[in-house]
Amino acid sequence: MSDTASQPKLSEDTSGYTLAFLVLRLWLGVRALISGIEKFSATVAVQKPLLDASGNPDPSGAIVEIDQKVYGFANYQGVPDALKEKFLAEPMLPSFLTTPFYATLGYVLIALGLMLIVGLFTRISLFAMGIVYVMLTVGLILIKQDVGVSSLAVHIALVAFALVLSRYNRFAVTRR
Amino acid sequence: MNETTPTPTAGSPETGALSSWDRRKFLQVAATAGAALALARPGRLLGAASTQSDLRIALIGLGAEGKVLMEATLKIPNVKYVAVCDIWPYALKYGQRFLKKEGHEVNAYDNFEDLLAKEKDLDAVFVATPDVWHAPITNAFLKAGVHVYCEKMMSNTIEGARSMVRTMKETGKLLQIGHQRRSNPRYLVAKNRIIDEAHMLGRVTAANGQWNRAVSDDLGWPKNSDIPEDVLKKWGYENMFQFRNWRWFKKYGGGPLSDLGAHQIDIFNWFFDGPPKTVLAGGGADYYPNHEWFDNAMAIFEYQTPQGIARAFYQVLTTTSAGGGYYEQFMGTDGTLRMSENPKYTAIYREARAADWSKFVQARLIAPQAATPVDPDASASSKVDARETAELAAYRLPVILTKAIHQPHIENFLNAIRGTAKLNCPADEAFRSEIAIFKAIEAVYAQKMVYLTPADWTV
Repeated sequence: MSDTASQPKLSEDTSGYTLAFLVLRLWLGVRALISGIEKFSATVAVQKPLLDASGNPDPSGAIVEIDQKVYGFANYQGVPDALKEKFLAEPMLPSFLTTPFYATLGYVLIALGLMLIVGLFTRISLFAMGIVYVMLTVGLILIKQDVGVSSLAVHIALVAFALVLSRYNRFAVTRR
Repeated sequence: MNETTPTPTAGSPETGALSSWDRRKFLQVAATAGAALALARPGRLLGAASTQSDLRIALIGLGAEGKVLMEATLKIPNVKYVAVCDIWPYALKYGQRFLKKEGHEVNAYDNFEDLLAKEKDLDAVFVATPDVWHAPITNAFLKAGVHVYCEKMMSNTIEGARSMVRTMKETGKLLQIGHQRRSNPRYLVAKNRIIDEAHMLGRVTAANGQWNRAVSDDLGWPKNSDIPEDVLKKWGYENMFQFRNWRWFKKYGGGPLSDLGAHQIDIFNWFFDGPPKTVLAGGGADYYPNHEWFDNAMAIFEYQTPQGIARAFYQVLTTTSAGGGYYEQFMGTDGTLRMSENPKYTAIYREARAADWSKFVQARLIAPQAATPVDPDASASSKVDARETAELAAYRLPVILTKAIHQPHIENFLNAIRGTAKLNCPADEAFRSEIAIFKAIEAVYAQKMVYLTPADWTV
């Protein structure tokens, strides 16, 4: 039997590859989408009356302050303040580069996430996502956040793997 | 009179500490003024005040505590200050001017007897003088048909405090004692919901409390503001220094166990449904050369609760602020609750053996700490000793106080006058609590265990 004869032909059975790519695409899409949405979240203290077991206000008139997560454009923060402060001290990260990056990161992640989930320009989306992760990696390397760099390395590997499998892209708005 | 200052000579069980001459004079004035005022305002003696109209109030004692009460009261609607009283012209002028700025035109008196005789339409009086004058003033106003809010301690003597309870019962007027934690919603929820209803602590076997304060200087007074010597003598003060620093002297107050401990030992008694059975205590004037009262003291109380014996340790230190500030902590088989008027010291901890507390988080009785609560099971591997108990999971109490710290207690008093609430700390309840403090002081001097019996708090 020749080598070519021993290899499965793409047309024979590619469902495993197709499904593998589909879950990978969805995972990367969801990861980016939710990360992007979270950049519009904030935790606010909300005051409410404490209720008794019957659902009536506690006789003491007690008010409880509960942390509640809310979403809105007003809460947008591309990068946490703690990280921003560290980046600010890095001469290799001038503000003319970081400022637009902070301002657009959340929107870019949401857009890329949605595109991957629905399968719109999948390869370009994956490539763009890889570039975003590379940019984030640069910042984290400079401030010596090795754990974050490692995590991004895993993301990059998944993106690269997805690009390799992208020819099996199905259930998508556009084929590529 | 002034909370930062004291009064007359020690002695009378009826009136707290008046000399015999002062006592006779006081009783004469009080009886006459009381009878006259009772006749002058029959309507106010018969029933609760209207829930709509302004309550007419007076404040006696414009020291630090008096100012706190005044400022808290001003935040409450439908209250009208009509008079203030202090033997120190400097404080009296301050109080009168402050209230005028707030829209309260008040009459100023340097003698509570004059105030009692001349202010005919008083609904209530707030007493924030040195402890020694609490009983005489409170008794006089109650007998005159005026409801009284009196700062703790009730008196510097057991008999003085007892006389206040007796007068409250005889006159049927309201007497709220200023243990303001009893109206603090965080304390009410802790006692009624967390401990009594949800039994989150399991069986409470122990408590500890403390108030540690750094060394402080004696209080001074502005130049040319001295009270004339004859006035000081009339009200029982040796001199201006003792008037300003009355808390350090035995004939005016009860020392740190009373000044600071009263609030916290009251919480022991409230939560354990005291008084205690016994008390052991030690203390002394270890640091300050010019203080009569001990500056540091420690006491151990034994309480008989429906679930069994509980022991409570209390310390008050006025020479160091180390050790985590001021709090009262109740330790049970399932959890520990640390209470404080300062929310930053307040927390609740779950023992590893206790059932899941998620339902209490859902009911908003507790909330996760800002940091992730420690998982008691996960910490088992980091034990140094095999018998070491797993670390407790920490939560916070989400109940907040959105008002001045004394405001809910004052509101409770005013609402009771209007007939829409029941007093949270009536004098008889406070007396049952404060007896533990009197006995702790006794134990310090006796240098042995002191036993309490119902006769001690019988009126």
